[in-house]
Amino acid sequence: MAGGYAELFCFSNFTFLTGASHPHELAERALELGYDAIAITDACSVAGIPRAWAALKDSPVKLITGSWFELDDAPAGATTPRFILLAQSRKGYGQLCQLITTGRRRADKGQYQLFARDIETHELDHCLCLWLPPATTGASYEQALACGEWLQRLFEQRLRIAATRTLEAGEEQQLVRVRQLAEQLQLAIAATGEVHMHARERQPLQDVLTALRHHATVENAGHCLFQNGERYLRPLPVLQRLFPPAWLQETVNIANSCSFEPGSLRYEYPPDLVPEGETPAAYLKRLTREGERRRYPEGTPMKVQALIRKELGMISELNYEHYFLTIHDIVAFARKRGILCQGRGSAANSAVCYCLGITEVNPAKVELLFERFISKDRDEPPDIDVDFEHQRREEVIQYIYQRYGRERAALAATVIRYRYRSAIRDVGKALGFDAALVEKLLDGIDWRDKSTNWRQQILDKGLTRNPKVAEQFFTLVNTLLGFPRHLSQHVGGFVISAGPLAELVPVENAAMEGRTVIQWDKDDLESLGLMKVDVLALGMLTAIRKALELISEEKGQAFTMQDVPQEDPDTYAMLQKGDSIGVFQVESRAQINMLPRLKPETFYDLVIEVAIVRPGPIQGNMVHPYLRRKHGLEPVEFPNDAVRQVLERTLGVPIFQEQVIKLAMVAAGFTGGEADKLRRAMAAWKSHGDLTPFRDKLITGMLERGHDPDFAERLYQQICGFGGYGFPESHAASFALLVYVSAWIKRHYPAAFYCALLNSQPMGFYSPSQLVQDAQRHKVTVLAPDVNHSHREHTLQGPEKHLRLGLRIIQGLSSSGADRIHQHRPKNGYQSAAELRTRAGLNQRDMELLAGANAMPGFTSNRHQAYWQLLEHEEPAELFANEPMADYQPEPCHLLPEPTEGQNVLADYSSQGLTLQRHPLALLREQGHLSYCLTADQLKTTRPGIPVQVAGLVTGRQRPGTASGVTFVTLEDETGNINVVVWLETARRQRKPLLTARLLHVKGVIEKEGDIVHVMAGKLSDLSHLINSLPVSSRDFH
Amino acid sequence: MLWLYLHFPHLLLDHVRRNQDASGALAIVDGAGQYVVQACPAARDLGISPGMRLKTALGLAPDLNILRADPKQEAWLLEDQARWLYHYAAHITLAPPDGLWAEISSLQKLYGGLPAIWQTVEQALTERQLTAWVAIGHTPQAARLLAHTGKGECTADKGHILTELGNLPLQAAGFDKKSCTRLQRLGLNTLGEVFALPAPELARRLSPELLAIIQKIQGTRADPKAPWQPPHTFRQRADFIQEVEHAQGLLFSLQRILAELEEDLCWRQQDTDTLLLVLQHRHEEPTRLRIRTTGPEHRAEVFLKLIQLKLDQQPLRAPVTGLVLAVKRFTGREAPGGQDLLGETQDLNEAWHTLISRLQARLGEQALRQLAPRDDHRPEQAWSAGEVRKPGKGQASTSALLPHRPLWLLNGPRPLEQTPVAWHSGPERISGGWWDGQRVHRDYYIAQLPGGELAWVFRDVHDGWFIHGWFG
Repeated sequence: MAGGYAELFCFSNFTFLTGASHPHELAERALELGYDAIAITDACSVAGIPRAWAALKDSPVKLITGSWFELDDAPAGATTPRFILLAQSRKGYGQLCQLITTGRRRADKGQYQLFARDIETHELDHCLCLWLPPATTGASYEQALACGEWLQRLFEQRLRIAATRTLEAGEEQQLVRVRQLAEQLQLAIAATGEVHMHARERQPLQDVLTALRHHATVENAGHCLFQNGERYLRPLPVLQRLFPPAWLQETVNIANSCSFEPGSLRYEYPPDLVPEGETPAAYLKRLTREGERRRYPEGTPMKVQALIRKELGMISELNYEHYFLTIHDIVAFARKRGILCQGRGSAANSAVCYCLGITEVNPAKVELLFERFISKDRDEPPDIDVDFEHQRREEVIQYIYQRYGRERAALAATVIRYRYRSAIRDVGKALGFDAALVEKLLDGIDWRDKSTNWRQQILDKGLTRNPKVAEQFFTLVNTLLGFPRHLSQHVGGFVISAGPLAELVPVENAAMEGRTVIQWDKDDLESLGLMKVDVLALGMLTAIRKALELISEEKGQAFTMQDVPQEDPDTYAMLQKGDSIGVFQVESRAQINMLPRLKPETFYDLVIEVAIVRPGPIQGNMVHPYLRRKHGLEPVEFPNDAVRQVLERTLGVPIFQEQVIKLAMVAAGFTGGEADKLRRAMAAWKSHGDLTPFRDKLITGMLERGHDPDFAERLYQQICGFGGYGFPESHAASFALLVYVSAWIKRHYPAAFYCALLNSQPMGFYSPSQLVQDAQRHKVTVLAPDVNHSHREHTLQGPEKHLRLGLRIIQGLSSSGADRIHQHRPKNGYQSAAELRTRAGLNQRDMELLAGANAMPGFTSNRHQAYWQLLEHEEPAELFANEPMADYQPEPCHLLPEPTEGQNVLADYSSQGLTLQRHPLALLREQGHLSYCLTADQLKTTRPGIPVQVAGLVTGRQRPGTASGVTFVTLEDETGNINVVVWLETARRQRKPLLTARLLHVKGVIEKEGDIVHVMAGKLSDLSHLINSLPVSSRDFH
Repeated sequence: MLWLYLHFPHLLLDHVRRNQDASGALAIVDGAGQYVVQACPAARDLGISPGMRLKTALGLAPDLNILRADPKQEAWLLEDQARWLYHYAAHITLAPPDGLWAEISSLQKLYGGLPAIWQTVEQALTERQLTAWVAIGHTPQAARLLAHTGKGECTADKGHILTELGNLPLQAAGFDKKSCTRLQRLGLNTLGEVFALPAPELARRLSPELLAIIQKIQGTRADPKAPWQPPHTFRQRADFIQEVEHAQGLLFSLQRILAELEEDLCWRQQDTDTLLLVLQHRHEEPTRLRIRTTGPEHRAEVFLKLIQLKLDQQPLRAPVTGLVLAVKRFTGREAPGGQDLLGETQDLNEAWHTLISRLQARLGEQALRQLAPRDDHRPEQAWSAGEVRKPGKGQASTSALLPHRPLWLLNGPRPLEQTPVAWHSGPERISGGWWDGQRVHRDYYIAQLPGGELAWVFRDVHDGWFIHGWFG
């Protein structure tokens, strides 16, 4: 074709701080300009390819996969070569990926390092090399020639020389050189644009990026910046004026010789899992059958049998057997090791997964949806996330590495992108704004207020006096938003391949030692149809496993999750009271408030409970309608049968993400494809997506079909709320199961429950102190850590199952020391500090921490004396080391004061973060400091609407995104928690106590809604000084 | 021995405040802009305290004025205080970052007793609008601890001082964090309780170092302090929270600094003939002004007049965020300046200095400029005619790869009126400068005009043609 052009040199913004356009922007512009082809050639990376591919796959413009390289050394007599490699075929693509992997794996995260030797040794016979000859100012002709000769030896007929016209100084000499080299080496010349941006308007941003790369400001970056903005995708007529036709023609020739398409990448499943002589389908069927016998010893119910048949049929039709087998294999490993795990996701809640042991949601007992299992229409891989105990997930990861090898398994990447804060900081830096003022600007911005007038803010804060610069700043920040900054590791998404992974996608180092990530993230994998397995960590699973072990011990027989009785009324009764501290998912303040309103009575109520307190339903104003209908205050109605089908389970109110999407289809007339686009836009909404295009379609569609306009608008709001936090029913169902199990344990085995939770810290919403107090309120006796009774972990002791705090509660104590204290403890216990030190081999630091924790009550009179003894120590002579030291009692020091109760309480807090003695508020109350204050307990019986005073330790300050301007403060006193609501105006007037008080006094009005008690704050006062006065004024306590 | 200690709780704040009467809360933040280091009384009323995160502080007071702390600045601010204190006491020792010792037992006779000394110091502080907590102690450490807590009294009674020290809480004793925690864990709350412990036990159970510190406080161990030597140059600085836009706004600070200079010169018994005044701006390079007197001089009013004259001639380029006045050359009051014993000229540096000052004197300072290349693609911005600098100092590293440019660049582009007869090179496209409002977007060519001259011409976005320079 005459007059065509293919751009073979494009940096996208995946060449960080260099490229100033997204891959899809480049791709779309190439299409607009009528290019024949475009190559995305990021520096030692193909990270931008999937996004460009998504934009071009159905277009006439060909996407060429390539990468730009600059070597770290030079062949003899030459300059360091810079060149672009283009993949000519699938094989060439694999070679390219392999080379990138070599370069990336050798260097630190984000860097690469390649030597001439690598190019000589790697197989690159299916790649075409486009040589970028050195500038006349940078190297002599001889050096350039030597470089060209070296490349020619390696690439032979597959070498071209690049010529570019950026209209900069020295260009004429450079072109002379290129022609000369081409003639001498007999190379064809190909035109390139050395593209850094899709349009010239990006020059300011490109300058900003360049300045940042050089740690400079645009003003003093000088010659580091490009001389002009010509490195954009130029229209064909411009190119035709600048280049001889032959050079343009050559680009088309090159493009024609590159036949690789990213879409042709097909994921090949690792065949390892299928026993020889068996087909994957047969093997999966066999495993499912075995599972059935285990799950349903009395025979599989007919309904479930039918489901299994249907699902297996679908799986084999779509060739997904390997996926299920892979997950099964990982889960089976975890089972064998006793690691608790649970699957969730659309494909997880299926009868097959239940039989394979991937989930515990029994399809026979729980009415559940399996429709969204796998859809034949959507060409997308099934999605199963598996949660593992957070303390043991690493074992699972290591198993995967060991099973498939590091060449075949790697974590997916997460692209870390510019957000408002980072973009403002970096643009501010490049424009030379004062860093402290930029921070001030950032702090002054209300991020939820989308109408912020940036320009005014920037001028107000004195960042610049030039309104034009302020305008530019705003534009630059907005353009930079969503640009990738670096690749990080995904929380647990593994890609496992049949052949070497590095031939499928380059692998690079992650920041974490021993971890590698691929260059693509979750969305990229999805757009290329590659499969990933999510191996996630969940703290609650750890706690449940530990609790189940304690229960088994108590019962004297194994007790598992399956043994937990279903639909236990006591458990639901407890949840209905909002008594859910420590229970999975429903322990947050908002959930605790919702429980008594929703009053869950069945498992499915829990599924809704988990899903309803989320931005989607809240922004869509769906919560109240649902509650009214649930309690029969409003009739349950459906406009038509189609809608009834979608919303029947949730009483006509959309709660789950998939319901909303289905409603878009049945109520607004979206096609399947449109609905899928909507789903993707929702997933991407927070980073860069835009939902407004769907708004009109949704609302008009619904009005046309006779729906209420208010309902339509609310539905749209709900869609926006789901954006980024989509919560589908399948996830809610898996989570609800853990809610139920953890609630059941809390209700029936409270000691085991708190013990397990404390041993799984850090996790959940509450601190150990809050958990211990909750335990005490549930009649669990909690005992202090003691070197003569505690293990490292918290334990249940004696027939009464008292919860004995373990030594791990002592902050800073070495875990090996804690272990040795337990292991080397004599039968009748340690008799002295010296004996403890010697037997357990403790260092001074550990000893001091034990004294500070008052963990030696058996042989020290108080923590001060214990400490005094410890401070004097000389290593005992070897001879006496093993003799009984019981008779050695050091002299107490009479100059030291006896600790007061207040001192003990404070010392407990500083050593363990909690106290088992009286609550500081109780002491203060006794001293008469809080004379008019009601306790949390008293509030429960106080009439709503009357003014009250309360005081407590501040344990939480929250400004939830869904409640505009309201700050929730949680106060803790000796009887429980007090919820304080502070309105925006009140907060503004009393910032100081609100933001800094540790002990807060509130005058306000009590409000009640059912069992929920709030204090609407009026006057706030900071009483923190009272805490420090505790030890001095407290009465002696012997 | 008897020691006086001056603790400056917010030296930087005082420094800023006395240069500008500004209302509103002000806080000094650390270099990284993360934490509040000092807070003015108005800020403290709003709940802002040192050590607080800047984020929290801004939450409390969104309109807070903030200023970045600079350790260098703090160091010479302290030195500054030492200089005036040196007028009253000979043996001074710095206690960075915010304190000074003066040995005063020898001064009692001179001033006529402790109360007189105390009053003199208090008065000097008031004159300088400085906040300092003053205390007297029988040891340097005793004075320092008492000053830090603001418990200083005008007494030399050792018994009384020790009692006061004993009442100090442990945290105020300035022990290292580890020792402090250990003592607290023993249930001890005051310094007095620590004093009560037997010394050998202290050394054995805590550390010999801690015992040494305690003994230095009590006076049972020697704690020599090396006397401070005043610097040989004069340098004073003022920082403004609100930018100063008119030269008038600088006079207030200048008056104060010049008064201090006069005091300093009198005390040195020296004169000077050159002042260096540096004005700092937020976004631009600082303006450097050299003020020369006709002969050796020390009077503030003369200096001020000269500076005013200079500022009248040369209006401010940009708002001023701070100023520095420095004097490096002193001349003896009597001795005539000039040549050394053998009548030879001083070193080359001095010769250069003499040449420049003669030229400046003859032509006026404005007339003398030094050419230098600048790192910028725009031809107008690619060079600078700056203030004359000392040779080999502050020269921008010249890039070896400068583009091809005409030797004679016109003052400004001039319209091209003749059609060139030949084109020699181009186009070279230059576009940039969007950040400072002087954006250019031009295609440059080398063209031969009918008269045979080689011109550097360009075409701009509006298709206008201009000549920008001549090639030889």
